[in-house]
Amino acid sequence: MAQARPGWSRRAQYGLFFSFLALIAGLLFGLILLGLSLLAPTKFQQIRGAALDVTGPIAASLHSVTSTVEGLATGAGDYWDAASQNGDLKRERTAMLRRMVEARAIFQENQQLKAVLQLRQHELQTIAVGRIVGSSFNSPRRFAILSAGTHDGVQVGMPVRSADGLVGRIIDAGAIASRVLLVSDRANIVPARLLRGGMPVISQGRGDGAIDVRPLEVGRNPFKRGDIIITSGTGGLYPPLVPIARVVKLNDDGAIALPLADPANISFAVVEPPYEPAAAATDSTSDKGSP
Amino acid sequence: MVRAALATKRRIGQGPKPLAGYLPAITVVVASLLSALPIVSTSGWYPDFGFLVLISWRLLRSDPWPAWWAAPLGLVNDLFTGFPVGFSVTLWSATMLALDLVDRRTMWRDYWIEWGLAAVLLAADEWLHWRIAALGGARVPFLAVVPALVISICVFPLSAWIVVRLDRWRLGR
Repeated sequence: MAQARPGWSRRAQYGLFFSFLALIAGLLFGLILLGLSLLAPTKFQQIRGAALDVTGPIAASLHSVTSTVEGLATGAGDYWDAASQNGDLKRERTAMLRRMVEARAIFQENQQLKAVLQLRQHELQTIAVGRIVGSSFNSPRRFAILSAGTHDGVQVGMPVRSADGLVGRIIDAGAIASRVLLVSDRANIVPARLLRGGMPVISQGRGDGAIDVRPLEVGRNPFKRGDIIITSGTGGLYPPLVPIARVVKLNDDGAIALPLADPANISFAVVEPPYEPAAAATDSTSDKGSP
Repeated sequence: MVRAALATKRRIGQGPKPLAGYLPAITVVVASLLSALPIVSTSGWYPDFGFLVLISWRLLRSDPWPAWWAAPLGLVNDLFTGFPVGFSVTLWSATMLALDLVDRRTMWRDYWIEWGLAAVLLAADEWLHWRIAALGGARVPFLAVVPALVISICVFPLSAWIVVRLDRWRLGR
């Protein structure tokens, strides 16, 4: 297609023409695929999972290299200003010890109260443990690649958390790797509440690594800088009382928060079953529009 | 000497490398595979490597691959990067068509025009990403994708330079 006609050869002219037709066909094929993947995101689950199985192990094997390099850099940084850091840590430790004793007492009291009320306690179950080995690079969507798949029992829709806090939920599952929709993705809306006071709020990703939090009831802005947002367990997908984010900036109708589980730094992520499987099943049929 | 002037500069053993015809397509697939790097980006400001290499090749030559290969290459990119399946298939085929039209219209080309063309194509890429994300339930302000666009426009010269070197290497020049 570079020149209008490649000389007098009929064969070359036909070749160009058919290549042009094939290109148009490819364009139409792409439009159909795109339409399908927007309207019925579950359609390509198998093939997307298979592709994940190709890229997942590459990322996992390279991951150890980069984490070693990062570890060397931060390890050297830790020696800087070590003496004053030591003093700070000692002060913090004594404060923490006092708080821990209080917490133990509260925990015991709580257990007694629960026994009195005969509340059913949810057992914490773990489906699989994996590493976050990669992420989406260049789109407004925020995905991460987890090195655990259907082979380990991971299913689409399961919540993922780390020791620091909530990471997100599974949206594609291959045999040995899966893709996680991070809490910082715009399409990930988590029912949450404020740790201080327990006011119900909604957490929604901003697509740039941060999270928007808004109170459910319109009115006074309840947030303060440093507030911790935790999951409320409403909706049945995410377990309650998992920390999500810390508020860093207030705005007109809510606040901007940073996820506590930074996907770039967490070492292990835990996949759990949906908190209320029945509720999650109805939820996944209702929001088919968003992958 | 006349004889020396007539002799070609090419030495024995120099010439197109084996698989030279497939090398451009292979480099595009390798660029798509860069998304398997173990980098966790929280902002998403990395360029769309596959598309960047595709337009670098296409702006350098009109025949790096038969035009319709854009569709299967795009499918590979979609699967590796996790874009909605069909996104790159459509965009890459449309890009090949658009650049064919541009080739017919432009009388001459220089580096600035190529960079401008690349900027327009990358802007279209980012805008479509933003639009498709909005359709998929992730509506963010367009300002959020502008840094990614600026970065990929700035990275284009580097990608074009690498592609020129690869082109000379594969043809044995």
